[in-house]
Amino acid sequence: MKPTLILSASIAALLASTIYAFGDIARPKPSPAETKPVFYTGLTVASDAKAYEARLQISQETLKRLQEAAANNGDKVSMSQRIMHSSTRTMMAGLFMFLAVSFAGVWLARSGQRRNHKVVAAVFLVAVVFGVATVIVRANAGPPGYIRWQNLPQALKDGKVTSGGVQIEVVQGDDDIKLIIPLRNTNRPGE
Amino acid sequence: MERAENISGAVWPTRRARDRAHVSAKAFAAILLASSGLSAVLASWLPLQMSIITVFLFAGPHNWFELRYFLTRLPARFGRSRNFFLVAFVGIGLLTALYASLPALYYANLWSGANWQNAIATWNTLMVLWISALVLMRAKQKTNRDWFWVLPIACVLCSLNWLSPELFSLAIVYLHPLVALWFLDRHLRRTKPEWLLTYRRCLMLLPLLIAGMLWQLSRTSSLADDNGLFWRITQHAGAALLPNISSHVLVSTYVFLEMLHYGVWILALPLIGATGAIWNVKTIPIANHSRGFPKLIVALLIFSLFMVAVLWMGFSVNYAITRDIYFTVAIAHVLAEAPFLLRMI
Repeated sequence: MKPTLILSASIAALLASTIYAFGDIARPKPSPAETKPVFYTGLTVASDAKAYEARLQISQETLKRLQEAAANNGDKVSMSQRIMHSSTRTMMAGLFMFLAVSFAGVWLARSGQRRNHKVVAAVFLVAVVFGVATVIVRANAGPPGYIRWQNLPQALKDGKVTSGGVQIEVVQGDDDIKLIIPLRNTNRPGE
Repeated sequence: MERAENISGAVWPTRRARDRAHVSAKAFAAILLASSGLSAVLASWLPLQMSIITVFLFAGPHNWFELRYFLTRLPARFGRSRNFFLVAFVGIGLLTALYASLPALYYANLWSGANWQNAIATWNTLMVLWISALVLMRAKQKTNRDWFWVLPIACVLCSLNWLSPELFSLAIVYLHPLVALWFLDRHLRRTKPEWLLTYRRCLMLLPLLIAGMLWQLSRTSSLADDNGLFWRITQHAGAALLPNISSHVLVSTYVFLEMLHYGVWILALPLIGATGAIWNVKTIPIANHSRGFPKLIVALLIFSLFMVAVLWMGFSVNYAITRDIYFTVAIAHVLAEAPFLLRMI
């Protein structure tokens, strides 16, 4: 009994000391607010030798959707974001998944019937098919967005049109509209 | 003493029901298909209006018919099923109270609604575990059944629920109307087996009907939910949770399923003699038994009729608020279906 009490008191003291220890840690610097994309659409860059001013053309429909997205300020979160947001729920989901696998194992061990083995084999086969299908689908995933912009400098020189995706962000301040093109430096050292 | 296991003959009015209904299987199929098709057309054409009308007219009565049906299925003496019914009724009471208390606490400013999703997930988990317990208890009564596989499935469902509690709740909203079709299947199996094959063939057309509705409505714009009532209806059908799907599709699908649900409870089951003559309490074992409670059952049914009338009055005075209250309290009948369906399996 006595060792248990001493051990419990020691653990409590250790836990209490961590609170004071944390009190001495410097407050972290607030990280700059991240700008969230509010809208994703396509962008076409074209040159016009006869124009005197750069022009930005937006279709009525896109403008309407952009206004709606800006009004929501990117509050529409995706399903994965919604799930990842809550660590409590993720832990509970993991716990129940663990229990599911455990109970399934117990059930399998309890029932040594041949029919159940067939069911397990069928489930395993379906899982493999889904896994392979996932690999295949991932293999056919499109190239990253910056690939479409790689030929922009040359296309501008040649007077050709370049199209790609664009994320629209609303930033603070009153600066001009800025277009950031994801151009990768493809020149290798020595070239 | 009449045991739960021995009441099947009294509860299932097989011979009389068969003699009473002179409808052929083909006519039965024609009625099913015609009513399903008409429901699909109306739900697709006027989803909001049909939602308002059907809930107004049938929400209360279908609960009354369900109560009448469940009383018919309730044994006069529980016997070996005592623990099963104890867990069932305690679960229905507690889960309903918990479900109703969440919005009540919120509107009484006793709870801010923080961690709403966790609260919903906890309730859903309790419900799944309660149903699992009932399934295992039911399996114990059937000596040759091993339903242990229910546990891993229940845990998977709980896991999915914790990943997205609101979508899980929405799934219950859409799946609940289909439970009535399962009841009808089990009932036909015992009272009209000659119709069962026809019924199941008709059921196979249901996914096609829903697919046709989705295909027709997939390009429709969302419904104008510019007033409180329309907004409630679209939210109930999951418009906020599934923003990429037109609310027209969601409301139409839900209203269609709900119309089938009402049709089964109010028309199909009484017409095939599932509940007996609705005014005759002698078909209810717990009222007909020598040590039963006929007066209590009569009083309960009359009080329930009174509540149906109160619900209609409430809808007439303030439809939106009554609808909210109804869908909160109505969780009791959703839960009650689980143990009685299990008793039929």
